[in-house]
Amino acid sequence: MSIKLEDFIKENKKAFDTDMPSGKLWDKIDAELNKKKQRPVIDLRLWAGIAAAVLVLLGITFVYLLPAKQHHMTVADVNPSYAQKQLRFAGLIEEKRDSLQIFAKANPELYHKFSADLEKLELAYDQLKKELPASPNQQLVVKAMVKNLEIQLQVVSQQLSIINEVSQYKKENSI
Amino acid sequence: MEAVYIDKNIELVNDCRKGSRKAQFELYKLYERAMYSAALRIVNHEAEAEDVLQEAFLEAFTRIVDFRGDTTFGLWLKQIVINKSINCLRKRRAEFVSIDGVDLPDEISGSDEDLTLRVEEIKAAVRLLPDGYRVVLTLYLFEGYDHEEIAHILKITEATSRSQLMRAKMKLKNNMEKKGARDEY
Repeated sequence: MSIKLEDFIKENKKAFDTDMPSGKLWDKIDAELNKKKQRPVIDLRLWAGIAAAVLVLLGITFVYLLPAKQHHMTVADVNPSYAQKQLRFAGLIEEKRDSLQIFAKANPELYHKFSADLEKLELAYDQLKKELPASPNQQLVVKAMVKNLEIQLQVVSQQLSIINEVSQYKKENSI
Repeated sequence: MEAVYIDKNIELVNDCRKGSRKAQFELYKLYERAMYSAALRIVNHEAEAEDVLQEAFLEAFTRIVDFRGDTTFGLWLKQIVINKSINCLRKRRAEFVSIDGVDLPDEISGSDEDLTLRVEEIKAAVRLLPDGYRVVLTLYLFEGYDHEEIAHILKITEATSRSQLMRAKMKLKNNMEKKGARDEY
């Protein structure tokens, strides 16, 4: 039966379209279409308003963004070659810290101490970064920043070798 | 014959693009019955179907510049009508997810032949279906959508679409049997 019903509907689709909307429907559509025709005038004003608003917004952003940009000064703004060093150091530090993390589980208290040491250096780095935009001698600050990163790198390298040796020692002793 | 019909439509569509109200009216007259019937089958409410139709025609006439003629104007318009109808149902928070726990009688064979398949009877039975069933059944049987398309348009899974259709057909049959039984007494 359900197959028959399906076929019946599919074959007689048109016969099912017997319902008609009320005659007033076209009048409504007609009226709406008339309204839409008049809209371009309003639209033009609306667009002009939007354009003006955008201009004002742009103006405000420029006024506020330009000094803000100086606030977020980077090393590259002062000395591009230092910026390259900074990038390289930061990458290496990241890498070694990741390696350090692997040993963390085996030596939690040692890892904790190491992290504290690195944190101190990081704090100093952040402080320098904050001072940079307002500093009278930006070259000096940038130099200190890069030096800080270099020290961080050395520290983390040493930490890595220590933690490596310690876990090696632990392993041998446990066997 | 058919080619002439299509050509006539293309001319009307082109006139509509230029904003001819007469052409718009002629297109409206050509399609009002089919589109209203389709909308009514989905929303199951005359006033809402009229609102859907009004919105759909307005959108079609304002967006007619976008109509590229890849399909016929009728199919393009039908898509707008169906989308708007489903949105209308959504606003009514129709439940499209599968309805479990609805009591469905076992399929009774034999009495099949007794059922007279008349259009009005089927229509009346379709109107009695719950929203979720009715929409899936309508899209599948009347509009020729497949389950993939139904799943996409209703944001349900294909499996749900299939099960909904199956349940809808059973329920529809049940509705018609009940009606038939009532008529006998």
